[in-house]
Amino acid sequence: MKMTKIYEGAHQWVMFGRDENKPDNIIDSNQYIVRTANKCLLLEPGGTELFAPMMAAVLHHAPVDQITDLFASHQDPDVISSLGLWDQALSNAKLHAPALWEGYIRNFGCESIEYVPIPDNGETIKIESVELQIIPAHYLHSPCNFHVYDPQAKILMCGSVGSAFEPANAPVFVERFDVHVEKMRAYHQRMMPSNQAKRAWIDRVRNLDIDILAPQHGRMFKGDDVKRFLDWFDSLQVGTGV
Amino acid sequence: MNSQTKSQFIAVASITSELSAVMVVAKEISLAAANAKAIAFRAGDKAKGFQPITDFINELAKETIELVTNINVYALLLYRLTVNEYRRTAAYNRFEQVAKLANGAHYANSMQEPITHAKTMMQDCQRQFKRDVTQLLGQLEAVMHHARAARVIAANSRIEASQAGEYLQSLQAVAESVDKAAHTIHDNVQRCRIALSIYRNS
Ligand SMILES: [Fe+2]
Repeated sequence: MKMTKIYEGAHQWVMFGRDENKPDNIIDSNQYIVRTANKCLLLEPGGTELFAPMMAAVLHHAPVDQITDLFASHQDPDVISSLGLWDQALSNAKLHAPALWEGYIRNFGCESIEYVPIPDNGETIKIESVELQIIPAHYLHSPCNFHVYDPQAKILMCGSVGSAFEPANAPVFVERFDVHVEKMRAYHQRMMPSNQAKRAWIDRVRNLDIDILAPQHGRMFKGDDVKRFLDWFDSLQVGTGV
Repeated sequence: MNSQTKSQFIAVASITSELSAVMVVAKEISLAAANAKAIAFRAGDKAKGFQPITDFINELAKETIELVTNINVYALLLYRLTVNEYRRTAAYNRFEQVAKLANGAHYANSMQEPITHAKTMMQDCQRQFKRDVTQLLGQLEAVMHHARAARVIAANSRIEASQAGEYLQSLQAVAESVDKAAHTIHDNVQRCRIALSIYRNS
């Protein structure tokens, strides 16, 4: 599992991904942690298959008893099917996930972890002194979906938006936007069902000060590529799978 | 899933299916008893010896149904326990994997506690399963007892039927159906016991 520190301040952001040992028929995904002095939040913890390498990687940054919070943007198995294992490993943790999906996500096993439902219009969660904004991103692609914005680190963890699928040795940041576009187009056209939802999200996100866009699959966007991505996504017709 | 867990799932599932067949048959016996009672009533003095037997048969069928209903509740518990044990074992194995992969990580040692905990939980499930299986085998034994008793009654019924004149045939048919049903129950329950016996407390 590759680890890349993407923010270092009073707290840290680390991106995990490009697991070389994952089975070929499982999609590669990015996981993120927000590490504060005594706590650790796991964003998009991942699927069951990824649990062991992911947990082992987190142990480079935090001890088990300081993994106190998990976040799932939506209900898909590549996002959160590892829940049943985290549930047995962590004795004092919360899962922040969409209220709408509670009955679904609990199928993965959620007995000792506290399910904290996120209301439709989002909320703010606090990890020690770090305030994170949970931004609605409904229908992108899941009908109830959230992203996480850290105004201090200026990072937006944007779930499925901005995702692309790449080999395990691909760099973690987009290097040539024009080349990268081709790796995203089909996925966004097919997976994002609503131009109206896309419009609402772009309007909301354009108001945020963002240094890094951090999707759940593929490469992250930084600097000018953030705006390039928003412009590209803005002009893309989605929901064309029918 | 390893083959031990797989066969445990199959053993538990097979109890439920064997027992639902037992239930059907026990209801048949109860019906046969009602039928026999009507015939014996019509036969009057000729079937005097038969009348108390029909009550016996009916009682036996009712008790068997009750027992099987209880056992079914138990079998469901056993199923849940199996699912739980499977989950616990899967977690324990993954945690061991984490420990291996985290070798050299700064906080690798913090994995020891979840591993120890997972191991205890897994072993608790295994012990509980063995205890519950032993209990269930005892209950199945009780059903076997009833089935054996039903066969003895069926034999007695045949003797009584032979003295019932023109009712001989219909009463013999009753005895026959009780005997057949008892046989089926015996066989099904025996299969349950064999499937479970490898898991009992030794
Ligand atoms: Fe998804």
